[in-house]
Amino acid sequence: MADDEFTDIHGKPLSLEYRFHSSFCREFIVSAPKVSLLKVMVYTCTVWLFAYAVFFVTENTAVLSAAILVTLVGMMLHIHFIKIDHETLLIIGSLGIQVSASYASGRESTTFIEMSRIKDIVINEAIYMQRVIYYLCILVKEPANPDSVSNVVPLFQSSKPRLNCLIKVYRSCQEILGQS
Amino acid sequence: MGQRKRARLKGTLASGTSDGAAAGLHGSVKHNVCMVSDFFYPNMGGVESHIYQLSQCLIKKGHKVVIVTHAYGNRKGIRYLTNGLKVYYLPLQVMYNQSTATTCFHSLPLLRCVFVRERITVVHAHSSFSAMAHDSLFHAKTMGLTTVFTDHSLFGFADVSSVLTNKLLTVSLCDTNHIICVSFTSKENTVLRAALDPMIVSVIPNAVDPSDFTPDPSRRDDTKITVVVVSRLVYRKGIDLLGGIIPNLCLKYPDLHFLIGGEGPKRLVLEEVREKYQLHDRVRLLGALEHKDVRNVLVQGHIFLNTSLTEAFCMAIVEGASCGLQVVSTRVGGIPEVLPDDLITLCDPTVSSLCEGLEMVIARQRAGTAPHPAAVHAHVRTLYTWMNVAERTEKVYDRIATERVLPLDQRLRRLRARCGPVAGSIFAFVAVLDFLFLLLLQWLVPDSLVDVAMDASGPKGLWAQNSSRDKNIRPKYQKSVGSS
Repeated sequence: MADDEFTDIHGKPLSLEYRFHSSFCREFIVSAPKVSLLKVMVYTCTVWLFAYAVFFVTENTAVLSAAILVTLVGMMLHIHFIKIDHETLLIIGSLGIQVSASYASGRESTTFIEMSRIKDIVINEAIYMQRVIYYLCILVKEPANPDSVSNVVPLFQSSKPRLNCLIKVYRSCQEILGQS
Repeated sequence: MGQRKRARLKGTLASGTSDGAAAGLHGSVKHNVCMVSDFFYPNMGGVESHIYQLSQCLIKKGHKVVIVTHAYGNRKGIRYLTNGLKVYYLPLQVMYNQSTATTCFHSLPLLRCVFVRERITVVHAHSSFSAMAHDSLFHAKTMGLTTVFTDHSLFGFADVSSVLTNKLLTVSLCDTNHIICVSFTSKENTVLRAALDPMIVSVIPNAVDPSDFTPDPSRRDDTKITVVVVSRLVYRKGIDLLGGIIPNLCLKYPDLHFLIGGEGPKRLVLEEVREKYQLHDRVRLLGALEHKDVRNVLVQGHIFLNTSLTEAFCMAIVEGASCGLQVVSTRVGGIPEVLPDDLITLCDPTVSSLCEGLEMVIARQRAGTAPHPAAVHAHVRTLYTWMNVAERTEKVYDRIATERVLPLDQRLRRLRARCGPVAGSIFAFVAVLDFLFLLLLQWLVPDSLVDVAMDASGPKGLWAQNSSRDKNIRPKYQKSVGSS
């Protein structure tokens, strides 16, 4: 069930997909566009042209091989650690919330927070890179004192959707939190 | 881009006025006000409480108010205070005395973001010591917003630092729409310092919350006479004069006691006096006071003494009088305007004159002819209220809402005409750079990409709607972001 157009805070298109597995289990997937071929080409060309210029001056072939290595390793690192394709929020009433991020390489990192530790899900404001933005976060209770918040877990950290998207997810989550 | 923005602003203003005229009974246009100052809570002082109280009253009158200040230590980001007053603690570097550095540019991205997302129509800067206030005025004018500036302090003309500050003030205020001063003396001072047209300078005094400062005669000891001094112990507050008065009067009147609240470098002077004349049981130094404790100290006294050497508008004497104390003060700055003659005894800023004044009041106190504290309080409580301040400030906003913000070319011309050929040209150049920087930012992050903030206060305020349903506002607001 994908629907209307969402963008992230930089204006790049995002897609929000949500699946209602049952009345108390919902899944939200925010996906960013795939790594564009053009971008890869541009970066590779820049590195290689630079390497070629250096080679022209130094006449040392090691520079060229280094450039090839750098682009390969750089690309691997980028898709393995930086580029996140989609972020998933799975909320199951009475059980908990699972947050996972899958990287472009296919690697996934997942965390799970039990419902008993969750105080609430809220939309908050933060100052980020010379801007003020909205973000969705989970408030985690302090085990000793249930009234205070010990930790804040920000959601959709890499995709950073805009407010209209956050509100949609937020309302859905509140419906489930309200049931339990 | 700037032109389009101005056109849009004018459009909203025009439609706003017609709405206001149509609404008629609902009062005037509602403004989106942004208060900017380096000084705000947790820092304590007159400017801080002025901004807070004024904002609260403006919110009650239906305007939307946000406050922008710099981060205080760990307190950064966005916070909400009572009634949905939103405070932005922006992470800008603090230079000196809680004032941020002025580079004219580095604060633009964040300030622009705040102004755009909150749909600000009026930028109200406070205090001439605050670099952030000047920066925000500068940026707001570049963005085509109307600007107001409140000056809270008096300044000299002679020393180097005043000359520099005055020049900065001239540049900053020459194209500001309106300026507010706290007393007529302060107005005169500001008009001279910044070479302004007196027509665009209004006088709106400060106020005190009279319910915080109520008299309580049972708390004071009528077997002795207690003089209370509450001020920062610094040179400007005339603590050296106080050091001269204490031994003089204590020798003359064995039942006279001094109660001194406040902290500062001049505490040494008072401690020396106390040591030298063996007055430990009669002169009590309380150290720094929190604002909520001030009343408890004031009600213990009979006479309030203020020895300031310069003062734009003295809040302390109003607080003292509101607690029913007899007030003795120096005749400096705006003080003579503050209280009517029957509530205050004015003296010259010399030890002998202040002693005379105090003796007169002590005699009156002994004879029992001093007015009753409750009567004094009843009189003072009608003089200065925050609601009155807010109403008058609102009038200023209404007035400038119809005014035009100078377009860039006229602004440059005015800068060069008013501020001298050298400084004027430099700042005209800076203004152009600022404008170009704004264009760059508008290209990098277009206004359409900045999410409009949810209003906590103002006509569409979410807190106002919630508070009628639920008193527990704070957690409710966070939910209401989604449910609106």
